[in-house]
Amino acid sequence: MSMSAPSGQNGADMSTSAPEPTGEVLLELSGITKRYGPNVCLKGVGFQIRKGEVVGLLGDNGAGKSTLVKIMSGVVKADGGDYAWRGRNLAAPTRQETEKLGVETIFQDSALVPSLTITRNIFMGRELTNALGLMRLRKMDRIAADILDSVVTIEGIKSPRQLVGSLSGGQQQAVAIARAVHFKRSLLILDEPTSALAVRATEALLAYLTRLKGEGVSSLLVTHNLHHAYEVCDRHIVMNHGRKILDTTREQTSVKELTAAVVEGELGLQRYRQSPT
Amino acid sequence: MSKPTSDGAPSPTLGGTMEEHDLAAAPAGAELTAPVQRTMADSVPKGRSEQFGGWLRLIRGRGALEIGIIFVLVQIGCVVAYLMAPDSFPYLSGANFNVLSQSIPVLAILAIGAGVLMIAGEFDLSLGMNFTLCALVFIHWYSDGNVLGAFVVTFAMGIGIALLNGVIVTRFKIPSFIVTLGMMLFWDGAALFYNGSSAARMQRGETLQTIFAGQVGPFRGQVVWLVLVAVFFWVLMHRHKLGNHIFAVGGNESAARAISINPTRIKLIAFGILGLCVALASILVAVRTQSVQPGTGRGMELQAIAAAVVGGVSLRGGKGSVLGMVLGAALILVLQDILLLSGAPGFYLNLFIGAIIVFAAVFNRLIEGKAE
Ligand SMILES: Nc1ncnc2c1ncn2[C@@H]1O[C@H](COP(=O)(O)OP(=O)(O)OP(=O)(O)O)[C@@H](O)[C@H]1O
Ligand SMILES: [Mg+2]
Repeated sequence: MSMSAPSGQNGADMSTSAPEPTGEVLLELSGITKRYGPNVCLKGVGFQIRKGEVVGLLGDNGAGKSTLVKIMSGVVKADGGDYAWRGRNLAAPTRQETEKLGVETIFQDSALVPSLTITRNIFMGRELTNALGLMRLRKMDRIAADILDSVVTIEGIKSPRQLVGSLSGGQQQAVAIARAVHFKRSLLILDEPTSALAVRATEALLAYLTRLKGEGVSSLLVTHNLHHAYEVCDRHIVMNHGRKILDTTREQTSVKELTAAVVEGELGLQRYRQSPT
Repeated sequence: MSKPTSDGAPSPTLGGTMEEHDLAAAPAGAELTAPVQRTMADSVPKGRSEQFGGWLRLIRGRGALEIGIIFVLVQIGCVVAYLMAPDSFPYLSGANFNVLSQSIPVLAILAIGAGVLMIAGEFDLSLGMNFTLCALVFIHWYSDGNVLGAFVVTFAMGIGIALLNGVIVTRFKIPSFIVTLGMMLFWDGAALFYNGSSAARMQRGETLQTIFAGQVGPFRGQVVWLVLVAVFFWVLMHRHKLGNHIFAVGGNESAARAISINPTRIKLIAFGILGLCVALASILVAVRTQSVQPGTGRGMELQAIAAAVVGGVSLRGGKGSVLGMVLGAALILVLQDILLLSGAPGFYLNLFIGAIIVFAAVFNRLIEGKAE
């Protein structure tokens, strides 16, 4: 691997034994740092996401996952580090730029407009319009209803014309997901997309991520549910206090190892490697 | 899979990509015959009555339905009162029509400007002074014989003053309340400086009269301007993608930014729209009255904002309708008219208007609460 090995672990033998992931490198971050006032929240984080890869980004509360997600999607500027897209260095791209690259994000604090309808939220910024810029609301309604039925299979939404502010937390999350998945993108970033979803909707979403992989779309899944992550992700990155402490493939890890890394950080990881029980 | 059931359950329209695990969600009573999959695609209104229902739902919680009902009730009350006592309450008389049809359009156009800006999440308290300055500039340039220049400069002035507010507000991230409060005083002084304290007068121009203050049937020509402006901004706000973005920026600015909408650009456009409305309204007034005082626009900003609020525009942004703004302006002026017709003393008018505004704000808040 071209990336520097993550600090404090035996990354070297990992790269020799691992089947080298194929596929072009889509996004490569290196040495990303970010501080909020005195609080350093990312201390030089780097990793790659390849085409068609599902990557899990794990870590305890406050580890810096959402901040990293915001930097990847361009809503927050990193203080330092490199952002390369398909091998091209972009310094610190803005949201407008990442949008053009095809980065689509579901933010943890779901970025919806409560006073607008589901349809208008799903199509916000990408309205289907005629030549004059007038929206084709009926067509948009139909498509919105279709996505919500087929991809996120959420209960209790009656019409795509409901105001988002009148939906439950899980339903709002479903709308955010619907918005992110509808437009064929190259990288889909999901920051805890299933935290408010019931079992059925969660399963549908995870199945969808696997399906996207087949279409060559990469995704980055942030979640606290390690079983979900282990189930769908090809690769796992564990963060701890602003550092990457583990970057491993599914074949090489286990839910136990991930749990140790997430819960106890590097110490837990060392202890697990000494006696993997 | 979508065979009609024997008991005549509606044949479902399949979304095509429906997953199989929808069985659990099938409505009770249809379990075994056929998995009736009620998809949301069914609920996209199709028939005429459904369409009407959808339309009702659409304006619900956006303020226009409630204000519309109140407006119609007030109108019915007025007509009934007129029919019972046409002499003491000459509501449907030509003179009264004339008064209302020249005052409502001006306030309504200003309310549309103020309302669009409020939907974008900002205020402009300097609107009244902007209005005064525009009217003065129009009269002076017109009187100097430069008709085309008068129009160009007036619109440039109106839009420019509003945009300046917008630039300061967005550039320095200061609440628009304080910026435009300062600007209100600044332009009030500027109007006196430019014009002096006496009224500015202009000659009556026949073409101008016909275009901006002519008689159309029982109405004044301003009504036509209002209809044009209202239809244009209704389409822009409720059907055009730009309007969608204005709602988004006012409704959740960080969400809009995350979807790669540029809030600064949208807010500047909203300020520009306000400037445009102010300039147009000032020309309507200047042409009709042919005389404008430097103090003409004082308090106009509050009336315009009040009309928007009465019409259901949310003070927190992101919510409102153009129809509501027009009805809000009309309602305020009709109620004022009713008070005058029924002989209420002029000094106390504000007392009633103020009460109406507070009532409307509380009312809209209650409805908002219900819709959320
Ligand atoms: N806008 C901000 N201003 C100041 N500090 C911030 C800001 N955003 C994040 N932080 C800090 O940065 C650290 C990392 O936050 P982040 O949201 O990235 O964590 P996270 O890994 O996503 O956690 P969680 O799993 O709880 O969502 C936290 O300590 C947080 O307090
Ligand atoms: Mg987070």
